[in-house]
Amino acid sequence: MILENFPTFSEWFLPGLVLFGGIVVAAILLGLFVGYVVASFSHGPFEAFYTVAQVVGEAVPDFLKTSPRRVFAMARLAIKEAFRRKVVVVAFIIFAILLLFGQWFMGGTENPEKRFMNTIMFGTQMLTLLTVMLISAFSLPEDIKNKTIYTIVTKPVRATEIILGRIVGFGFLGTILLALMGIISYFFVSRNLEHTHQIVGDTQTIASFTAIEPGTEISKTTGKRVSPNAVMEGVTNNALGHKHRLEVLEFSTDLADDPILEEPDVVSSEKQPDGTTKYQRLVCQPYGGHTHPITVSGTGTDAKITLGPAVGYFRARIPVYADNVRFLNSEGQPSAGGENVGKESSYRGFIDGGSSSKRSTLSRAIFSYSGFVESRFNNADVIPLEMTLGVFRTYKGDLQKRVIGGLQFESVPDNPEVENKYVSELVYFETNEYQLQVRPVSRKVIGRIVAPDGSLVEEGEYDLFDHFAANGKLELSLSCRDYNQYLGVARADFYFRATDDVYWFNYLKGYIGIWCQMMIIIAMAVAFSTFLGTPIVMLGVLLMMIVGFFTPFIRGLTDIDRDGGGPIESFIRIVTQKNMMVDMETGAFTTLITESDKFLSQRLSDLTYLAPNFKQLDFSEFLTYGYSIDNQRIVVALAITFAFCFGMTLLGYFSLKTREIAK
Amino acid sequence: MSTDTSTETKTSRLEQTNPDYDPNIVIETQNLTKIYRDFWGRQKVRALNALDLEVKKGEIFGLLGPNGSGKSTTIKLLLGLLFPTSGRAMVFGENATEVTKNERIGYLPEESYLYKFLTAEETLDFYGRLFDMPSALRKERVQSLIQQVGLSHAKRRQLREYSKGMTRRIGLAQALINDPDLVLLDEPTSGLDPLGTREMKDMILKLRDDGKTVVMCSHLLGDVQDVCDRIAILYQGDLKELGRVDSLLQVSDETSIRAKNLPESAQDEIREIIKKHGGDVVGVENPKSTLEELFLQIVRESEQRPGQRASGSDS
Repeated sequence: MILENFPTFSEWFLPGLVLFGGIVVAAILLGLFVGYVVASFSHGPFEAFYTVAQVVGEAVPDFLKTSPRRVFAMARLAIKEAFRRKVVVVAFIIFAILLLFGQWFMGGTENPEKRFMNTIMFGTQMLTLLTVMLISAFSLPEDIKNKTIYTIVTKPVRATEIILGRIVGFGFLGTILLALMGIISYFFVSRNLEHTHQIVGDTQTIASFTAIEPGTEISKTTGKRVSPNAVMEGVTNNALGHKHRLEVLEFSTDLADDPILEEPDVVSSEKQPDGTTKYQRLVCQPYGGHTHPITVSGTGTDAKITLGPAVGYFRARIPVYADNVRFLNSEGQPSAGGENVGKESSYRGFIDGGSSSKRSTLSRAIFSYSGFVESRFNNADVIPLEMTLGVFRTYKGDLQKRVIGGLQFESVPDNPEVENKYVSELVYFETNEYQLQVRPVSRKVIGRIVAPDGSLVEEGEYDLFDHFAANGKLELSLSCRDYNQYLGVARADFYFRATDDVYWFNYLKGYIGIWCQMMIIIAMAVAFSTFLGTPIVMLGVLLMMIVGFFTPFIRGLTDIDRDGGGPIESFIRIVTQKNMMVDMETGAFTTLITESDKFLSQRLSDLTYLAPNFKQLDFSEFLTYGYSIDNQRIVVALAITFAFCFGMTLLGYFSLKTREIAK
Repeated sequence: MSTDTSTETKTSRLEQTNPDYDPNIVIETQNLTKIYRDFWGRQKVRALNALDLEVKKGEIFGLLGPNGSGKSTTIKLLLGLLFPTSGRAMVFGENATEVTKNERIGYLPEESYLYKFLTAEETLDFYGRLFDMPSALRKERVQSLIQQVGLSHAKRRQLREYSKGMTRRIGLAQALINDPDLVLLDEPTSGLDPLGTREMKDMILKLRDDGKTVVMCSHLLGDVQDVCDRIAILYQGDLKELGRVDSLLQVSDETSIRAKNLPESAQDEIREIIKKHGGDVVGVENPKSTLEELFLQIVRESEQRPGQRASGSDS
């Protein structure tokens, strides 16, 4: 998932309002024109003018005098209707079937949370949208067909109240439906993700060893090389379609009675002559976003390792992205998009790891951060750094073998000519392609201070916030440390993880997205049903839904800069059999075509805004991938929903107002 | 019928602002014409042709005519369910398409178009809410109307379980929920048994006695004759006759005499007198009751003496 930069509500609002205003004004002008033409046929041109003016004149008081009590009365009726016609029950039966049989197909994946959430969110979304579409599309046409509407419109009920009553009623019903599905889904997913693992083979021996040389391989099941940081490693059994790598990592502490030594996952500890204590911890490496706490009990041959329940599911990560990323080539010179490894370079930039003939490489991806302050990380001592990297291999060999990378922090002095610079020591890590790596970064960083002339000033342990990012700025450079291999990275692949958002709140925000889509569907179905029959309403709403889900693609089609030009130019190219890549002859005719195409493309692009951009309201990926949903997105989604509901209410009002109910 | 809200307080905007408005004229149509057209605007049928009508406050006005004569079209135009092709329809001095006029109108459609999934109580409560009625008043009114139309025993049953007669009654109750000044009834007795028909007619008369104006349309001549003060007869969209029922039905060149316990000889004498004065005897016979009256008498007697053959059947 790629998290794009998102404008704040205030940045979004004004252009959005201008666009919305433009569409409303255009729709009103079009409506007036069509209304006048239709009225002219039946009443003549002069009478038609009066009729149109009367309808428009009555609209303002009708909207202002809309009675909430009547709107709620209509809403209550709509709710009772849907309940007593058992539409909701049918929706729940389908949902239950989805849950009962859906789990057969949801296991056996690298990231079960992702697949569960994906399936459940998609199921809930489709079921809710189709249910509300059905009940909204049937309601008003049924009333008109059964003539029950006669007893409504002969009461002091305004067209606004009929429209709004239905939107509110079905909206309320859909909200209940969505809330229940959301709660059930949460328990369903969390129950299905509950699992633990057993350790397998000689991994058990990890606990009984006290001192082993770094790099020793003790498990035959874990590949050929042990992680560079690990003292030794093991593996768990397969559960829920995956297994975890276990690593014994070595740490040291100055405190003799450091409480960390009492942690249940500490395998051994040993006092050193210099007064420090060296200790080894058994760590369960995360897989698919979760890990398991480890308890080591007993010592020696009686030692027993047990893994606890899964930890790390249901996250609402708040990524702190770099402001920008820049690349250096193997000579250390700036490079626009990293090394070119072919088509894969279009999104990610690649850095090389040198070659056996030319071992040293200066190829780097450098991430620049600003506003890197400890308050964003809840003043934590350890900050998670998460990365999902691309791997481009120039030789295949063992594809399971992970590629090694290196990370290094550098401070960014405000005045580099006079101020010293902090540089951390290189930290190694391993990764496979597109595998989420979580590296806990301690704020105590071992490094050195370098003078502006490059000379060493001091070596020691420094604070990431107080020293490195004292001015809020920080650079993190990524290098590839495997010969002949490349690591690919984009800005969004690499982030520090600020304090997580509260999960249930994020979950709620995810459902607000579906709620927004639902409200737009209801408003559209109700508005369309004031002038169309049920089957046509459903077709129309389905069409809008499809357009809504593919808005970015459809909007892209109206792009004038596409190969082959706009609609007129494309047509001419087809007729004259001219290749898309061949330039048109310059001249007045071509200019005319280009300008006309520009105008037409812009109008076509404007038309795409009539359909809701459901992608903008779809936050299910955030939940699937465990990211926090920015509040700005929610505010924008609610504003879009309100604008659509308002527009649709206007459409429904004028349609109902100008319609002869008894005809 | 009890009036919960004072009729004096319910006045239309025009009554307040237009000094020329005559409050005694409840409905006024001028040159009211309705032409149904197809999708392409071609004329399909001229349903109503230049209708000029005035309905006065406190009268029962009947629209009479065979099927397709324009009765229902007139009612729908008065309610704003249809828009006139030309001419205008005014109700309480306001254009018929105005929503505000509905506050003083009750309408019983030809068939009771009600929500079948609601109970009688819920139905009336729902329509009460549409009039913005306060909760306490609404509850009281719902119960009194249910009692009035005799549906207390079935008030919690969904309307889908109702017979046609019961549906008609709840339909009437919904039309009266707002204690309207004008009640429009489209075929009010359709689907009702004779007993129900009589009750409906009694209720219509009572509405007039309470000061309401009633406009009804029907093709059942007897019903119209029994309750209407004035009628308009429509035929193929044209107004054919308009006036008071008693004067319209009066046969001015015939005289009828009704007497009780008159012997055969006296009847011969009367015949002689008529001949003497140059009149033609059209017929001398014992008058017959209407079938409706006979049926009602039988039902009444049967209720008083269950199990016995009603004496009314011998008469």
